[in-house]
Amino acid sequence: MSKETDTAADLGVQLRTADPATGLRAAGALRRIAELVEATHVAEARRAGWSWEQIGDALGVTRQSVHTKYGKKGTDV
Amino acid sequence: MFETFAKSTRVAFDDAKYEAARRGDRRVGTDHLLISLLNEPAIATAVGADAEAARRAAEALDRGALKAVGVDLGDYRAPGRASLGRHVPLTAGAKSVLQRTLAIAASEKSRSLTPRHMMLALLERPAPDPAADLLAALGTDPDRTRERLAAV
Repeated sequence: MSKETDTAADLGVQLRTADPATGLRAAGALRRIAELVEATHVAEARRAGWSWEQIGDALGVTRQSVHTKYGKKGTDV
Repeated sequence: MFETFAKSTRVAFDDAKYEAARRGDRRVGTDHLLISLLNEPAIATAVGADAEAARRAAEALDRGALKAVGVDLGDYRAPGRASLGRHVPLTAGAKSVLQRTLAIAASEKSRSLTPRHMMLALLERPAPDPAADLLAALGTDPDRTRERLAAV
């Protein structure tokens, strides 16, 4: 067995043994990180002249969904 | 319902939306309500932790949970904050906290909803709940906190 599959198997064991509260918290934490990293870099991309379509393609979502989420300024707190 | 909110409660409510955006959450949860209430010095004293301590505890809970599933964040630090939509919805838990806040204020025949009422409602949250988890991580004693809140 290669080292990589060992690591994957270890992770699988860890994922199965984490209790639901911990596992769900981890999933929530990953989502929070994704939101913050996405918001920061969508803003960067816009400043660098990327179109909504290009940003949507980079994120694997539609132009509309990224524009709806980040297009309207002034609602930023 | 909102016109009966004391000004400080409305501020706490707005702060909770800000906390959600800062954390990268798309909904206002009980944890965001708790952190925003802890900006009130009287509430922070009663609970025994301020907003900054609660933010650090939430971050530590996240890192601990990620580690348990095999994700090590290393030197990751949260960049900026997420942008908020015009309307930031509440989680089911946050909605029931608002309902309990109203009920507690009504039971005291209070004319306005104060941060103390909301804090009492948050202390009732049974685990699993984001605010209950945060209070436990902060080592808060619910009974002692309730006693101290009586003086607020």
